[in-house]
Amino acid sequence: MSFTNWLNKIKTAEKSSVINRRNRRVHYKFHDGQEMTEEYSMDTGVLQRRVWKRENTLGGEPYWEVELGEKMRSLNNEDKFILQKAVTEPVLTKRLTKNNLEWRIRNLPYPFETYSVTATPEECCITVRTTNKKYFKKIQIPELARCELKPNQQSISVQHQHNTLIITYKKPQLLLEMEKEVLIVLQSVDTEADDYDKCTSLLKELMEKQ
Amino acid sequence: MTDAEKLEIRDITRIERIGAHSHIRGLGLDDVLEARNVSQGMVGQKDARRAAGIVVNMVKEGKIAGRCILLAGEPSTGKTAIAVGMAQALGTESPFTSMSGSEIYSLEMSKTEALAQALRKSIGVRIKEETEIIEGEVVEIQIDRPATGTGQKIGKVTLKTTEMETNYDLGNKIIECFMKEKIQAGDVITIDKASGKVTKLGRSFTRARDYDATGAQTRFVQCPEGELQKRKEVVHTVTLHEIDVINSRTHGFLALFSGDTGEIKQEVRDQINNKVMEWREEGKAEINPGVLFLDEAHMLDIECFSYLNRALESDMAPIVVMATNRGITKIRGTNYRSPHGIPIDLLDRMIIIRTVPYTEKEIKEILKIRCEEEDCTMNADALTVLTRIATETSLRYAIQLITTSNLVSRRRKASEVLVEDVKKVYSLFLDEGRSSRILKEFQDEFMFSEVLDDKSTAMDCDDH
Repeated sequence: MSFTNWLNKIKTAEKSSVINRRNRRVHYKFHDGQEMTEEYSMDTGVLQRRVWKRENTLGGEPYWEVELGEKMRSLNNEDKFILQKAVTEPVLTKRLTKNNLEWRIRNLPYPFETYSVTATPEECCITVRTTNKKYFKKIQIPELARCELKPNQQSISVQHQHNTLIITYKKPQLLLEMEKEVLIVLQSVDTEADDYDKCTSLLKELMEKQ
Repeated sequence: MTDAEKLEIRDITRIERIGAHSHIRGLGLDDVLEARNVSQGMVGQKDARRAAGIVVNMVKEGKIAGRCILLAGEPSTGKTAIAVGMAQALGTESPFTSMSGSEIYSLEMSKTEALAQALRKSIGVRIKEETEIIEGEVVEIQIDRPATGTGQKIGKVTLKTTEMETNYDLGNKIIECFMKEKIQAGDVITIDKASGKVTKLGRSFTRARDYDATGAQTRFVQCPEGELQKRKEVVHTVTLHEIDVINSRTHGFLALFSGDTGEIKQEVRDQINNKVMEWREEGKAEINPGVLFLDEAHMLDIECFSYLNRALESDMAPIVVMATNRGITKIRGTNYRSPHGIPIDLLDRMIIIRTVPYTEKEIKEILKIRCEEEDCTMNADALTVLTRIATETSLRYAIQLITTSNLVSRRRKASEVLVEDVKKVYSLFLDEGRSSRILKEFQDEFMFSEVLDDKSTAMDCDDH
């Protein structure tokens, strides 16, 4: 039960970082050829987005697999979709806070008694079931897998309001430590600031010169 | 039965249309490749079928690349039928591309590009791939056609597993797949999310008692468990052309559906060839060469023939089967004459299978099979008359008379077609021979006959 593997992976990766508005974006290129991008909030230091670059087996354009944060929407292919979930179907979103992992499942109108949320340590996931057999989901928790922990039932709390099921999982101490260690590593990464204030002042200077 | 009821029945399963070769289910050979006289919709033509069977075995072994086979014979001696039989005998695993020689002439694509694409469509690559699939039992399916008749169709489907149920909106292309596979409520299906391919796994056990009678091939399966959407490692066959399209940056994956793939650069093809070789060496993929069937091969011109000469030498070439009904004739694009309208150097690389005209007995068998296929009960005498017509005129004309005479007999409210029905349609519809005879007789009364009368001037016009 430790996070040394993950920490080593982060440490040895080729990293670059840029600050955009109030977000710090870090790009990793790992030794095995994988690529990952993270986005940290500058205000809270909490991770907001993590995406992995994936190759198709048959080649073609690589795509980004979203682990955390909003799905990317393509603007021009909307009318050419093959098949998509209806808008009334449940949508799962994930969010990290300082002390919790949080999932929200919207569009679930059934009463609170319908749901059962259980930890499934064998598969390192949380299983959501409904007694009316309308919704079923195994939620993977890669964060726990990275520090070689299994989910346990005591850390899960569930709420239901406004057609939304909110599942909160209290971050274990080891995970908190891991996040801290990673942030320490990231401190030493050179960061280019894409600062809007600087840009406008630079522009002003240039205009005054003319 | 009221009209409304009739309409409803029609909507559920659309009538399967009967094509010219839809009665053919294989080559009709036994285990030692001997041709059975009448089998799998094939009649006679024993030598040609035996030869085709050997070709099928050669393709199945997959060791030999770039062979060319020519099916030569008079019109309506079953050349296309043998090709269709070969396709059926090869099964779904080996790709079979069928095209007509004239299909390569397009304003959007050069002739050789069209040929290159056809050749690459005929080479399959079996590869293991992890894909996102949706697997579930169809609870409800609804496809709405717009009231105007044209425009976008709107489709919805509800799928379920033992644990959950989800509604999906269907895109236009996948609606076609659903209709082609005739997906109904109670079917257990998988959808490949990336390619939009729909496969029917069978019917759900819970629906086993919906009908009293089910076909022998109906498979019953359990309703899937767990989540609808899952990642699964699947082994599937893609053609080299499909990999080309995916990797040519300007098109992307969706071009496969729309069909407008345009030209593909040679560099892309070379890259793909290398990559496929790599996969093969690593044991990730297997090459599955198939057949390219070029009907009306005399319609190809000299450029295509010389391109084929070269293309067949590549070790990624499929087996090419051509068919032609021409004798010694001009090679398109030149003034030279050559057997079958194909240059001697290409002919030299081919093995030629000859089809021979059918005997009267065989014609009778074919007509019998077609009657069955077209759902027509024909009296024995009528069949004899029809066979006589086929030998006097042509087999195709006689086949045309089957459904027409069936319609005539149905107007009499008769259960089977009699000689008089055949006679009636024979007088109603002319065959080619009678029609030309009439034309010759009444030439003067048709329009512009005076121009054609003067043969020498017509020839002059042709020359300039």
